[in-house]
Amino acid sequence: MDAINYDIELKRAGANSTHGWRKLTFLAQRHMLGAVGLVIMLIFVLTAVSADFISRFDPLSVDSTHRLAAPDARHWMGTDSFGRDVWSRIIHGARISLAVGIGSTALGSSIGVIIGLASGYLSGWVDLVFQRLIDILQALPLLVLALVMTAALGPSLPNVIIAIAIPLIPIVARVIRANTLALRELPFVEAAKSIGMSEMRIALRHVLPNTLAPLIVLATAQLGSAILTEASLSFLGLGIPEPYPSWGRMLSESAAEYVRVAPWLVIFPGVAISLAVFGTNLFGDALRDILDPRQRG
Amino acid sequence: MFAYIVRRLVLMLVTLFGISVIIFVLLRIVPGNIVDILFDAAGFVDKADKANLERELGLDQSIVVQYLHWIGGLLRGDLGYSYVSEKPALEEILPRIPITARLAGLALLFSAMFGIPLGVISAVNQGTRLDYALRVVSLSGLSLPSFWLGLLILMASVSLFGTMPIFNPNPQTFGQALAIYCVPALAVGFRSAALVMRITRSSMLEILRQDYIRTARAKGASETTVNYQHALKNAILPVITVIGIEAAFLIGGLIVTETVFNIPGVARFLVEAIRWRDYPIVQNLVMFIAVVVVVANFTVDMLYAALDPRIRYTD
Amino acid sequence: MRRAQAFAVAILSLLAASDVTSATEKQGGILRVYHRDSPASASIHEEATYSTNVPFMPVFNNLVIYKQDVAQNSLQSIVPDLAESWAWSGDNKTLSFKLRQGVKWHDGKPFTSNDVKCTFDMLMGKSAQKFRKNPRKSWYDQVVDVTTNGDFEVAFNLKRPQPALLALLASGYTPVYPCHVSPGDMRTKPVGTGPFKFVEFKANESIKLIRNPDYWKKALPHLDGIEFTIIPNRSTAILAFVAGKFDMTFPTEVSIPLLKDVKTQAPNAVCVVEPINVSTNIIVNSSAPPFDSLDIRRAMALALDRKAFVSILFEGQADIGGTMLPAPAGLWAMPKEMLETIPGYGPDINANREEARKLMQKAGYGPNKHLQVKVSTRNIPIYRDPAIILIDQLKSIYIDADLEVVETANWFSKVARKDYTLGLNLTGNAVDDPDQSFYENYSCNSERNYTNYCNAEIEKLFDQQSAETDVSKRKKLVWDIDKKLQEDVARPIIFHGRQGSCWQPYVKGITIMVNSSYNGYRYEDVWMDK
Repeated sequence: MDAINYDIELKRAGANSTHGWRKLTFLAQRHMLGAVGLVIMLIFVLTAVSADFISRFDPLSVDSTHRLAAPDARHWMGTDSFGRDVWSRIIHGARISLAVGIGSTALGSSIGVIIGLASGYLSGWVDLVFQRLIDILQALPLLVLALVMTAALGPSLPNVIIAIAIPLIPIVARVIRANTLALRELPFVEAAKSIGMSEMRIALRHVLPNTLAPLIVLATAQLGSAILTEASLSFLGLGIPEPYPSWGRMLSESAAEYVRVAPWLVIFPGVAISLAVFGTNLFGDALRDILDPRQRG
Repeated sequence: MFAYIVRRLVLMLVTLFGISVIIFVLLRIVPGNIVDILFDAAGFVDKADKANLERELGLDQSIVVQYLHWIGGLLRGDLGYSYVSEKPALEEILPRIPITARLAGLALLFSAMFGIPLGVISAVNQGTRLDYALRVVSLSGLSLPSFWLGLLILMASVSLFGTMPIFNPNPQTFGQALAIYCVPALAVGFRSAALVMRITRSSMLEILRQDYIRTARAKGASETTVNYQHALKNAILPVITVIGIEAAFLIGGLIVTETVFNIPGVARFLVEAIRWRDYPIVQNLVMFIAVVVVVANFTVDMLYAALDPRIRYTD
Repeated sequence: MRRAQAFAVAILSLLAASDVTSATEKQGGILRVYHRDSPASASIHEEATYSTNVPFMPVFNNLVIYKQDVAQNSLQSIVPDLAESWAWSGDNKTLSFKLRQGVKWHDGKPFTSNDVKCTFDMLMGKSAQKFRKNPRKSWYDQVVDVTTNGDFEVAFNLKRPQPALLALLASGYTPVYPCHVSPGDMRTKPVGTGPFKFVEFKANESIKLIRNPDYWKKALPHLDGIEFTIIPNRSTAILAFVAGKFDMTFPTEVSIPLLKDVKTQAPNAVCVVEPINVSTNIIVNSSAPPFDSLDIRRAMALALDRKAFVSILFEGQADIGGTMLPAPAGLWAMPKEMLETIPGYGPDINANREEARKLMQKAGYGPNKHLQVKVSTRNIPIYRDPAIILIDQLKSIYIDADLEVVETANWFSKVARKDYTLGLNLTGNAVDDPDQSFYENYSCNSERNYTNYCNAEIEKLFDQQSAETDVSKRKKLVWDIDKKLQEDVARPIIFHGRQGSCWQPYVKGITIMVNSSYNGYRYEDVWMDK
């Protein structure tokens, strides 16, 4: 049993070719929203990667003579109250958001998967120990942890990533465990057992791939929600500190003061956050549809 | 089953003990304590006065003694005194709980009320325009920072109606009470509803492809019977997990919402207490939240067993 | 001399008395104000933030007080409060007060000279009962003791003449506490003699005061009560004010951009912008390299473009000066011509920076060898924002600075450990008087002298100006001291901020002080035209 066989799935769905561009075109047509999400995500990633080349100004450079300038040919998204170029800050902010999103999701999901799989498949005392760990992690609300962490370690990028990753562990672990519990009883696992496959092999070859779908749904949703959490932390004054241009802080700190006087200070970071999160969510949904292993006939 | 429940209850105590140790240690490895903050307001740190104050608050004792003192008090129902207000911690925490509970309850209600039906509709109509529209709406719900949604609601309310809901401990009219709770609950619940809808949809889709559903269809069961009697019943499991988890995590969303709408509930109080390093308040509040979460998890697991015939908890 | 002053006092108190009885004022109503944060306690003597003064000043009386409807605090605007009159002795070393009779504390006990003695003994650390914190102990360094003569006379006996003592006693920071209430109770349920009685203080929620029906000033206060709702989130607070949920904003807490927003949304609101006598300054660690070198300190001072700070942070509405609050609001500021002779205050920024670069090159730095430093500050926008500008400006003189934000809980211990190179700091001055700002911030033994700047020669000048009874002579001395402090780059002052306050048009009798944000909140004359 292969974990995920795109080719069979594609042929079944009527794709003429399972290779190259035609395959991509087919997928894009079938999952319009997902394709849109992917494009948004790609733009987001590209922006983050090439921020140094496409920014027109130093995002930290203060200019008292051009403060609160409206968007024009020179400053595409205007300037903030310090005269800093908003366009440059938004694209450098993409880098920060990406680091937070991917960093915390990867960290949280990988730990969560290990715990969830071990807990659900091995059951017994392993399950009990991991469940206690999860209960403990889950009983510490995200922001409590984040507050204590930022206070303990000082507000910084890695600390915010860790603070956002930890609450993800129990979410992932519980869903993976619940799925594993259900899967364990399914015929194909029983069959594998009866032909003498080792427990480890069954867990990795059959159970893990079959829990990928919910994992991907969760991970992509978390990618977006990590960006949102950073924004909330910024609102509470605990996010990524100056001088990094964080979208969350840009939005939360200008929201009250400049919403009428200089709306571009509120609109652009707001759109950037929502669009990035929206894109990852759209893409995650489509990925889920494509990768769902139970679609096989 | 009974033995299982007893064992779970014992384990719950173990979890709570673990949390109490973790939160206690975390709070004390943080540099800077309440005394630093109290002196911060005074603009300087006087060494002698600081030492006096630390002695007065028992902060000069070893961490083990402090822990035992706290837990001992807790078992006797004595939560200690807030360092800041110098009032009993219980007196500070207790009146704030119903406010947050009301908000959380309403938000969960909204999320289930909107999330589950919309999720089912979306799954059953997979691939149609309706499905697309619902998904885009739910996704935008998940894409908006909650403080921003809250501020937008307040700003719109002031611009359009010239007024806004602001918390009042003794609302004069029922309408006022409704506004001060429902508006913030909607702001929090919007996000949860989107989450519930997504999980309902994906869970439904998964179930709809299962063999027994196909069998039911093949046997000639009507679409409605298949969708609602067979599929939803089984698809509801992950939804319950998510709602259960969301109930516990709602406190995070409430911290922001209570701040935006200036509601004096426990969620915002917790943040303030952490900022002040008001250990007695933080410790006891965290323990309270932990109890809520642990009980919620237990309930979710019991529901799992009750609803899914494939899962039986045995000794 | 003594008689003349007593006479002046009598006239002033007459003026004060005549002021309260004009006929148009309406009685009643609860004044609703939002509060910017939850104060640590209700005890004014134990706190050093106006978050405590604003809500609790109405509960108390002082011996003397700055007349509440005169915007500029000065020795001339001081009027009797619990004291009926005051007088200096011939050698200017004893300040005696005749106290008002028949005044009662809110719990019904009579007020006597003993309460005054208790209050100041506790402030001087002489009594058995102690404050937890005593931030303004140094205000009374020159006081030998406080003596009573019967129930209604007290005298402050000084080591040397200190005319400014009266100014300190008139501050909102100097209420008289009752003897019979413990410091602990004063932190949670304060008892005073003032126009309003304390009702409740719910941390993070609200502070409620109610009219004192037995207030010793007949027919006052006008209001039935004052309610402070604590709203730490600025956006919410301003929206609520605009929506009419509050009669007044928290005083001097509305930033210039927010003020504009209020004016467009609530055009009827009355808004004023006034100096708050809080200076934004740089604390320099001159005990360690690189800033132990006067050249590098001077270069930094020369690199500052103060106008840019003011235009970015205040849209031009802030003042540039030395330690003392600039004129016209400030009483002790040196003249502009004198100010501009100090390095870094000259109008030609480019020339200043050219000179700064030369100094840096002399110290071994240049375009190819930048100096790396950290600018530490608290993680609060009013601290962080100027730090961002400072870092940008330092770039012009080969200094690459990184911002290090520090949590409030760790800030002062970090500063005390000298664990910083440059720090961005805010210094509030409760009283516009050199005695308060010089001793507190630059004196060798002061706890709030964060930089440990210690200069024996200047210390002598501090005492000299403090003892000087001739105001114009004292002014000259103060100017010279201030200039020297700036030239030494002891704690370079960047600017003195201003802040806005707004209230609804029907709120009357509010005066926002222009040279202190700590003294104008008695609120007994405030009334509402509704």
